[in-house]
Amino acid sequence: MFEFEIITENFSSYLDGMWLTAQLVGIALAAGLVMAVPLAVMRVSNNPFLYRPVWLYTYFFRGTPMLIQLLVVYYGLAQFQWMQDAWEAQSPFWLLFREPFFCALLAFAVNTCAYTVEILAGSIRSIPHGEIEAAQAMGMTPFTRLRRITLPSALRRSIPAYSNEVIFMLQGSAIASAVTLVDITGAARDVYSRHFAPFEAFVFAGLIYLLMTFAIVGLFRLAEQRWLAHLMPRKTQAAH
Amino acid sequence: MFLDGYGPAILDGAWVTLRLALLSLCLAFAAGLAGAAAKLSGTRILVWPATAYSTLFRGVPDLVMMLIVFYGGQVMVNQVTDALEWDYVDLSPFIAGVLTIGVIFGAYFTETFRGAFLAVPAGQMEAGRAYGMTSLQVFMRILFPQMLRHALPGIGNNWLVLVKSTAIVSMIGLADMNFVADQAGRTTHQPFLFYMVVCLLYLCVTSVSSWTLHRLERRYSVGVRHAEF
Amino acid sequence: MYPLIVDDIHKSYGDHDVLKGVSLKAAKGDVISMIGSSGSGKSTFLRCINFLEKPNKGNIIVEDEKIVLKADRTGALQPDAVQLQRLRTRLAMVFQHFNLWAHMTVLENVIEAPIHVLKISKADAMVRAERYLERVGLWKFRNSYPAHLSGGQQQRVAIARALAMEPSVLLFDEPTSALDPELVGEVLKVMKGLAEEGRTMVVVTHEMGFAREVSTHLIFLHQGRIEEEGVPREVFSAPKSERLQQFLSGNLK
Repeated sequence: MFEFEIITENFSSYLDGMWLTAQLVGIALAAGLVMAVPLAVMRVSNNPFLYRPVWLYTYFFRGTPMLIQLLVVYYGLAQFQWMQDAWEAQSPFWLLFREPFFCALLAFAVNTCAYTVEILAGSIRSIPHGEIEAAQAMGMTPFTRLRRITLPSALRRSIPAYSNEVIFMLQGSAIASAVTLVDITGAARDVYSRHFAPFEAFVFAGLIYLLMTFAIVGLFRLAEQRWLAHLMPRKTQAAH
Repeated sequence: MFLDGYGPAILDGAWVTLRLALLSLCLAFAAGLAGAAAKLSGTRILVWPATAYSTLFRGVPDLVMMLIVFYGGQVMVNQVTDALEWDYVDLSPFIAGVLTIGVIFGAYFTETFRGAFLAVPAGQMEAGRAYGMTSLQVFMRILFPQMLRHALPGIGNNWLVLVKSTAIVSMIGLADMNFVADQAGRTTHQPFLFYMVVCLLYLCVTSVSSWTLHRLERRYSVGVRHAEF
Repeated sequence: MYPLIVDDIHKSYGDHDVLKGVSLKAAKGDVISMIGSSGSGKSTFLRCINFLEKPNKGNIIVEDEKIVLKADRTGALQPDAVQLQRLRTRLAMVFQHFNLWAHMTVLENVIEAPIHVLKISKADAMVRAERYLERVGLWKFRNSYPAHLSGGQQQRVAIARALAMEPSVLLFDEPTSALDPELVGEVLKVMKGLAEEGRTMVVVTHEMGFAREVSTHLIFLHQGRIEEEGVPREVFSAPKSERLQQFLSGNLK
């Protein structure tokens, strides 16, 4: 029934696909997280000129499918004359928008950033007010307070919710094959069209995603033990 | 002309998307209730499959699952029709879509409902039994309504994710609004415009849903005290 | 030179006047207890001293340095940010709910502000941390997280954190009110020791025993005004104001 040869024969293309998926997801997540930190701070500010644009950004990107965001970047922007002119002129920056890898990276990063902003903003709001007050009473400047108290506390509190976001990104990245990229799913689609063996091709791909998901869950469990110990129930007298 | 004449086609596509989402939701709801019941049953032959179901289907991308169902399902259908010497039957992308999305989100609903059932204090059930209610009455009158109240935020969240997931069904050829926009964008050379129209339609659905959910949560949290700051 | 002079503080929320001109002078080594029923404004007054609440009127002078205040649009007085931060390092506060930083260990809580606000070296901060954590008897818990300590222990850590700033004045905002009764004693004992060392303290409290035995000066606040003040033993044994008599009969059983 299940022909394992098809998988062993194409094992290296699955490996290549895995590498591409890992790159896409890893870089997008890193970029998204870095951008999300300042945006989350803006999101919780009292200044409408700061929080309104960020609200609009997360509202749009969390309210529409990532697939369409990807298609807009890769196919949609070509509609504009200035984009085509820039391509004509061989502008190195705008030529990036013809690269499926860059477009997927951009769409993924902007998408995960939007979700991460809301996760972080929620964590910042959940910090007990007294801890902020104690920092004020100690004479910390607003910037020191942000850097030493608010952000370290919020980033740690975000770990459980962020682990879900990472898993969603891994699984969401399967749509990269819609813009001709050969990630895990893309590799599986190639295998399928060569051998016409849908079960073998896609079930194996699913298995790879499953294992990667387990690995992420495991890593985050370690991270929580490391960085969320302070919120966990007390262990039997660690201090003695 | 309304979007170069593609307006009605996009709206038809939107209707396909909406039906797809709603039917998937019904299936997911049923699968989730069954999954949660099995996981909470305490019987090993039910707990194990339910745990495997909720783990596997949350660990594999919806697109991959959909390709398995659509292409793999076709192979299975072909084998059956061959064996029975029937005519060739095409598996419709709509049915494949509903099945896939419904079953995947059933796995998420399994976890949502399981948590919600566990959140209902045991004393509530005991009180019901103490007043002479039957098991069915306890379930229908006490457990289920309270469970639903706890599950409401999770249901809402799953629904919003589900709606956005429907977009990928266009990748197996279903003429949903995304598919129509793709076609229209190619012929009119205005892909940006059409994708943006689709984005706005999705935003309409997600906004209306969020607003409704917010209202429902307020209404059904009557009697639940909120944490104060 | 007085470490702390607070002069004529007024504070209102909308139409509601919480403080209607409250003043105090703390000489070096003074332990001033402030008592009063809830709603008398005593906590608000304490929080006005380090500007966690912005007073509408009044002056605060720390070691002869007067805080420069300007009224903002709402009429609240805004201090100069840089000066305020410097001032706050000299007025260390201990809170009712401890407010330890949950993501830091006991030791990290104590060395945090000396390093990042006072800008002393980590080695110096460690010396201070050891001294003051030993002082409150919790050096051996230095690597624990606050959530893993009892309320009384957390409050003692919070006291060590305040001491590590080596401030001119210690402000205590109902430091034992959030504690289980059996944990109150350990905190009061530490506070009594600090008083005996000659530290200048302003203490908002419900602990009449502490107010009577330890403090050098007692202030009874009622509806935003000082109703009566004086030497604790005298005030307690012969309260002049009727309100204080009522208050004490409710509290001293």
